[in-house]
Amino acid sequence: MQTLTAAPPTGTALAVEVTDLRRSYGDFEAVRGISFEVRPGEVFALLGVNGAGKTSALEVLEGLAAPGGGTVRVFGADPVRDRAAVRARMGMLLQSSGLPGDLTVAETVRSWAGTLTTPRDPGQALAQVGLTGRADVRVRSLSGGERRRLDLALAVLGQPEVVVLDEPTTGLDPESRRQVWRLVQDMVDGGTAVVLTTHHLEEAEELADRIAILKAGRIVLSGTQEEIAETQPAVVRFTLDDDAPALPVPDGVQVVAAGPRHEWHTRALQPVLAEVLAWAAEHGVVLRHLQATAASLEQAFLAVAEGRAGDHDEVPA
Amino acid sequence: MTTATSTANPTAPSRIARLRAAATAEARLLLRNRTAVFNSVLMPLLLVAAVPALGIGGGEVGVGPTMLTAAVVISLVYLTYYNLVTTYVARREDLVLQRMRTGELSDGEVLTATAVPTLLVTVGQLLLVTAGVVALGEWTAPVQPLLVVGAVLGGLVLMVLLAIASTGFTRTAESAQITTLPIVLVSSALSGLFFPLSVLPEGLANIARFLPVTPVVDLLHLGFSGTTWEGDPVGDVSVWTWAAFPAGLLVAWIVVAALLARRGFRWAPRR
Repeated sequence: MQTLTAAPPTGTALAVEVTDLRRSYGDFEAVRGISFEVRPGEVFALLGVNGAGKTSALEVLEGLAAPGGGTVRVFGADPVRDRAAVRARMGMLLQSSGLPGDLTVAETVRSWAGTLTTPRDPGQALAQVGLTGRADVRVRSLSGGERRRLDLALAVLGQPEVVVLDEPTTGLDPESRRQVWRLVQDMVDGGTAVVLTTHHLEEAEELADRIAILKAGRIVLSGTQEEIAETQPAVVRFTLDDDAPALPVPDGVQVVAAGPRHEWHTRALQPVLAEVLAWAAEHGVVLRHLQATAASLEQAFLAVAEGRAGDHDEVPA
Repeated sequence: MTTATSTANPTAPSRIARLRAAATAEARLLLRNRTAVFNSVLMPLLLVAAVPALGIGGGEVGVGPTMLTAAVVISLVYLTYYNLVTTYVARREDLVLQRMRTGELSDGEVLTATAVPTLLVTVGQLLLVTAGVVALGEWTAPVQPLLVVGAVLGGLVLMVLLAIASTGFTRTAESAQITTLPIVLVSSALSGLFFPLSVLPEGLANIARFLPVTPVVDLLHLGFSGTTWEGDPVGDVSVWTWAAFPAGLLVAWIVVAALLARRGFRWAPRR
């Protein structure tokens, strides 16, 4: 928020503020103390395998469940206690939610609009998700992708300032997915704060300003895409013939596999690559199947999923 | 946002406007569901029409009050209660209730909006039967109209709450046919509608007097024709004195049903 007067140090600038959130089902602690903040115009993505606690955390943010511990604030208000005030500024898409099959698409949107403080024009909302031509069709007859897009149209029908999307594009074809991404991007450009979960790393890369990777109820990695990727080493792979001269291992290389198929991990990709190429040129050796890959979000995600990252972050190797 | 908000100072729609928007959608669904239309419109009328043929009542009380009493009780139990149990369960299992909670409607408004069309049909049925009774020339003015109104309103509230409570042990809309039997069969049969409870063995009669539908029937008998639960005229004692017990019992049942509803109701299917 840009003001000329001195803004208060906290509060107004944050759309979402989650502090040490916990949630349990009986003895099972699904969310074990997570914290994050989202500002207006920012997209925050929660990644994690099934059962990592993404949906359990979102339900508290949505005001559908009370936290077991910690606090959640949306524009400084409690989504459970101040539900009416928060909901007028918030939209949400559940992972799975139902629509009555016997209403038409247009009836569904119009009746939902009638319950909202600042509804968007229903026709425009349908156009935005590409359902204009399906307005008079019963919801029962829609395809899964069309139904999901209608879900999304309802979620953002109230022109929300905060939007929570739980796996918005799961089950959508690539074209529908792009359509959803455009819609989200438009909202963000207009200043909406978005919190989303997804299985598609591509989706997080496309939309998210910041990402948190959740495992067993804890955030094990968070930051921008680049920051998260940088927690992982770059990978160099090549194959050497058996009769090649002894290969010197450059500094800063962790040898994962040696001869004939070599795999090196390093945080200094360029010097290491230069060194090995120079060595190969000097000895007239061919590095077959040479591959150099910078660290990626996917690699970090897989490392977390397989338990190779995150939990051990602070422990030196 | 890509689009400008059309109103500079948006105000939230009133509670009534929000309810009307959601209830209108629910009314459309009711009208498009043939089973529900049959259950809620035709079935109660057929049952009421059968009342004179069954020779119920008669004697001291005229056909008109008997038919109206039957219409109220049958509508409340078979239409309001049964229809709402199936509707709430169907909406829950289809994840529709869960989705309705994601907007600006409060939880109470979601439940109310879902019930409104059924409540309107119930009231419409009662007006229809009343018109029929008048047309047949069987109308006699109620002895104490306030008791009749109280029985209908209290009965409606009780049936909505019992329906919400019953969803807790009803897994699917189909299984509602069984889970609603305690109210639809047992409590209705032992309510004093079809025969005075005084004909039952004393032990059973004492139990039956405390079942949830019974106070509604007692109040209707007192209000329409001034007859007691034993089927006799109130005589010298005031109708209001006789009404104290069923009125108190009805309120007690409303409180119990509200507590059960609070405990048993779930917004989403059991996973």
